[in-house]
Amino acid sequence: MTNNVSMAEKDIQKVSAQQRVLKILSQVLVYAFLLTAALTVLFPFYWMLISSVKSLAEYELAVPTFFPRKFQFFNYVEAFNTANLGRLFLNTLFVGVVSTVLSLIITVLSAFAFARLEFKGKNALFAALLATMMIPGELFTITNYLTVDAFGWMNTFTALIVPFLVSVFYIYLLKQNFMQIPNELYLAAKVDGTTDLKYLWKVMIPLALPTLISITILKMMGAWNSYIWPRLVANDPDMQLITNGLRNAFTDVNSGKTNIPVQMAAVAIVSFPLFLVFIFLRKYIMKGVSRSGIKG
Amino acid sequence: MKVELRNLTKIFPSRNKKSNDVVVAVNDFTFTIPDGKLIGLLGPSGCGKSTTLYMISGLQKPTGGQIFFGDDDVTELSAENRGIGLVFQNYALYPHMTVRQNIMFPLQNLKGVDKLTKQEMLDRAENAAKLVQIDELMDRKPSELSGGQQQRVAIARALVKMPKVLLLDEPLSNLDARLRLQTREEIRRIQKETGITTIFVTHDQEEAMSISDIIVVMKLGVVQQIGAPQEVYDSPINLFVAKFLGTPPINVFKGRVEGEKLYIGGTAVLDTPGVKDRAVTVGIRPEGFILDANGPLECNLSGVEVMGRDVSVVSTHGESLNPTVRSIINSDNKVEAAATVRYSLKSNKVFLFDTETEERILF
Amino acid sequence: MVESKHKWKAWLYLSPAIVLLLIFTVWPIINTLRMAMLEGYNGTAELGGAAFNFGIGNFVKVVQYAKFLTCLKNTLLLCVLTVPLSTVIALLIAVCLNSIKPLQRLLQTIFFLPYVTNSIAIGMVFATMFNIIGNNIGGENQLITTAGVINNFIGLFGVDPINWINAGSAYWANITVLVIYIVWDALPFKILIFLGGLQSINKQYYDAAKIDSTPKIRVFTRITLPLLSPMVAYAVITAFIGGFKEYSSIVGIFGEKMGPAGDQFRLNTMVGFIYDSLASNQQGLASAAALILFCIIFAVTMVNLYVSKKNTHY
Repeated sequence: MTNNVSMAEKDIQKVSAQQRVLKILSQVLVYAFLLTAALTVLFPFYWMLISSVKSLAEYELAVPTFFPRKFQFFNYVEAFNTANLGRLFLNTLFVGVVSTVLSLIITVLSAFAFARLEFKGKNALFAALLATMMIPGELFTITNYLTVDAFGWMNTFTALIVPFLVSVFYIYLLKQNFMQIPNELYLAAKVDGTTDLKYLWKVMIPLALPTLISITILKMMGAWNSYIWPRLVANDPDMQLITNGLRNAFTDVNSGKTNIPVQMAAVAIVSFPLFLVFIFLRKYIMKGVSRSGIKG
Repeated sequence: MKVELRNLTKIFPSRNKKSNDVVVAVNDFTFTIPDGKLIGLLGPSGCGKSTTLYMISGLQKPTGGQIFFGDDDVTELSAENRGIGLVFQNYALYPHMTVRQNIMFPLQNLKGVDKLTKQEMLDRAENAAKLVQIDELMDRKPSELSGGQQQRVAIARALVKMPKVLLLDEPLSNLDARLRLQTREEIRRIQKETGITTIFVTHDQEEAMSISDIIVVMKLGVVQQIGAPQEVYDSPINLFVAKFLGTPPINVFKGRVEGEKLYIGGTAVLDTPGVKDRAVTVGIRPEGFILDANGPLECNLSGVEVMGRDVSVVSTHGESLNPTVRSIINSDNKVEAAATVRYSLKSNKVFLFDTETEERILF
Repeated sequence: MVESKHKWKAWLYLSPAIVLLLIFTVWPIINTLRMAMLEGYNGTAELGGAAFNFGIGNFVKVVQYAKFLTCLKNTLLLCVLTVPLSTVIALLIAVCLNSIKPLQRLLQTIFFLPYVTNSIAIGMVFATMFNIIGNNIGGENQLITTAGVINNFIGLFGVDPINWINAGSAYWANITVLVIYIVWDALPFKILIFLGGLQSINKQYYDAAKIDSTPKIRVFTRITLPLLSPMVAYAVITAFIGGFKEYSSIVGIFGEKMGPAGDQFRLNTMVGFIYDSLASNQQGLASAAALILFCIIFAVTMVNLYVSKKNTHY
C-alpha cells in the first residue's frame, strides 16, 4: 500500500487557519443558539415576575413595559387574600407531608419484603404490580371517585391522601436499590440477632437514602401540583389544594375581567417553593426524574 | 513517511485547583522516526508515552515543540487533517456497526479526488480484512467477537484508508498471553507487508523488544534512550533503562571501584580498566553469571528453578539491592545442593552506574 | 434460608400496600370493565336500584359522540405535533450543551427549570403572554391597540397581531399556543435524558471518528444518534404516553372550560372527556372512554417499542 494523499500538495497553513476559523465559528453559533434557547425558556418566568409587580393600568398598556415603572408589591398581599392562598397552602403542606411520610413507610416495607424476604408467589406478585404501571391513572380515578364517595370521604383530607399512598414505581425503584446491598449484610445481622426492622432502619435505609430523598421530593411536588383529583373530591373551597385556588380566583364574577398582575403574583407565590426546593436539592430531583419520567 | 518530533513538550495543568503544580507529561522530546520503521514507545505508566502518541495523532495539542510529517509541519493541524491511522487501547469499535461497516467507515469520509465508489470501498474493506485475517467475520457486530478479533478489526479499520502513519496505543494489553504472542507477530507481519511507518506504545518491554525496529525508553516524560532493541539492552545508558529491560530483571548490587577493580562486598569480582576509585551501583544481567567453583562472587543459595533450556539460580547476597540474586545458566551445568554458590562474571554483562546520577560509567 | 421460617413476616410488611392496591387499583380495574359493559350506566341511578343491560352500548355511544371525536382529534393532533418537535429541539439543545464547557452547568440548570413548575400556574403565564390585554374586544381594530407581549414581539418582524386565545380566536392559533407551551414544558425531561445519554458515550468513538476525518454531521448521524437511540426511544415512548394524557396544560391556558370564551370545550382532550363524563355522573361512558384511552396508549406503546427495537442498536 502507498499513500495516495500527499501532505505536500496541501497548503498546511491554509488548512490549519481554516480549521481555526471553523472551530471559532461553530462555537459562536452553538453559544448563540443555546443562549437564545435559554432566554426563551426563561422568558415566561421573567414575565411572570415583572407582571406580578405592575399596576393593572401599567399592565394594560398597548406596548407592554419590559421593566415595571413602579413596583406594586401590594399585589402579593392581595393575591394571598383573594385566593385564600394561606389556607390552601396549609392544606397542601399537610397533605404533602402526611402522604409522603405514609407513602415512604409503605414503600420501604414493601420494597424490603420484595428485595430480602423469600415467600411463595413473590415473583408473580411483583410482576402483577409492574403490570399495573401500564394502565393510565385516569382509569382508576373513575372508580376511586365512587369508592371515596361510598366511604363518605368527600371533602376530607383522607380522600386527598389515601388513594395515592402506594406507588408501584417507587416500590420498584427502592427494591432495585435494596437489591444492590449485599445479602451477606442481612445474614450477618441475622446471625447477630438483629431484628428485621432494626436492620432496615440501621443499614438499608441509610444506604438507600438518595433514592428515598428523590421519592420524597417527587411525592411532595406531586401534592403541590395535583389538580384534577382535589377538584373532583373536594368541592369545598376550604379543602382544596393550592393549584385549585389559582385558576379562577382572580376573575371577577360579574365582569369576567381578570386582574392579571394579582393573578401573576399568586402564580409566583405558588412557583416560588418549587424553585427553592430545586435550588437546594437539584441533584436528587434530576436523579429521580431521569429514572421516573413522570412529572410529580 | 518520516515523522519528526522537535522539542515536543506537553504540560498538563494540575488537577488540584489550589496548587500551581503542573504535570510535565512529555519533556523536550526530539527524535526522527525513519520512514517505514516500527517504533516502540516504552516505559512504565505515567512516562508520557501515550501522550506522545496522542500528540502525533493530533488528538492532543503539544504545549511546545513541533511535529513534522515528512517535511510538513503538522503541529497546528488537527487530527482529522493528518491522515493517520490509530488503534485505540480499547479498540473503540462502533458497537452498532458490523465489522464491514466499521472498516468501511473511514473510507466513506474521503472527499474530492479520493472519493471512492461503493464497490471500491467494499473491495478495500475486504482486502484490509484479509490482511488481518478476519474476512470471515465481516457481518458480525463487535460484541460478537473475541478480544483478539476485535483487535484485528481495529487494525483493519486503521489500515483501510492507507494512512501515512499508523499509531497503536497498547495494542496487546487487552489480550491474553497466548493471543498476545500471536498478535504481536501479526502486527510485525502487517507492518512489513504494508511498509507503513508504525508507532506503538507499550509498557511491556518484552513486547517492544520483540517486534520493534527501534525502541524509545521513556521515564516521567523524559526520553532515556533510543536505539535498536538489542543495542539498548546491551548498552543501557542508565540504571533505569538497565532495570526496565530484560526478564528476569537485572541484578543490582552496591559496589565500589578501587585500583581499577570492582569490589562487591570485600571481594574483587571484575577488572574495570579506566574507572577511577569510587562507589558505584553494579548491574549484572542474569545471563552474565558463570558458575565457577573458584569464582570471586559468593552468594547464599536459595533454590533452583528449572525452565527447560535454562535453569534459574536464585540466591541472596548481602550487597544486593534486590531481595534475591537471579542468574540464568545453561541447564547443562549442574548446580549442586549446597549452602552457597560461586560465580565469575562476563564483563560485557556487567554495568556500572553512578550512585547519585545513576548514569552509566563505561569501562 | 433463615427467612423462610418467617413467611408471614413478608406478608405483614406487604399488607398495607396490598390492601390499598386492592381497593384503589385492582378494584378500579374490575369495576371499570364492569361499568363500561353496563349500557347507559349511571352511579346514582344504580344506588337508586336501577338495573342496566350488559353490552357494548357505552363504547358505541362514546365512539359516535361528536364531543369524543373532537377530543380524540385534539389529543392526536397535539401528540403528533409536540412529540417530534420537542424531541428534535431537546436533542439539538442537548448536543450543543454537551459540546461546550464554560456555562454548561448554568445552562443545564436553566433548561431544567420548566420541569419544576406547576403546569396550571405556568400555563396561566403563557395565557398572559398570548392574551389580548384588557377586556375591550369588539372588532379587529381594537385588537391592535391592546395586543399582548407576544403580539408586540412578532410585530417587530412586521407580523400583524394575532388573536391567539381570546374569544373569536382561530383553532390553529389555539393549537399553536398549546404546542409552544407543551414543548416548553416537555423539554427539560428530554434534555436531561439526552444529556445523560450523550455523556455516557465513550469519548474514544469521537476520537476514532476524528482520526478518520469524519465530518461533524456524519459523526452525529452515524455515531451519536445510533448510540443515543435507546434514550431517544425512551423519551419518545414516554412523550406519547404523556401526550395522550394531555389535560392540565389546556386547563392552564384556557381554563376549565377547555376552550376560548364563546367556543368552550373546543380544545377538550380524551382525559378531559373522561372527567367531564365523570362529573356529569355518566361513569359508564367515562369507563368506556378510559378503556379506549388505555387501548390506544397500549397500542401506540407497542408500535413504538417495535419500531425502536428495529432502530435502536443495543
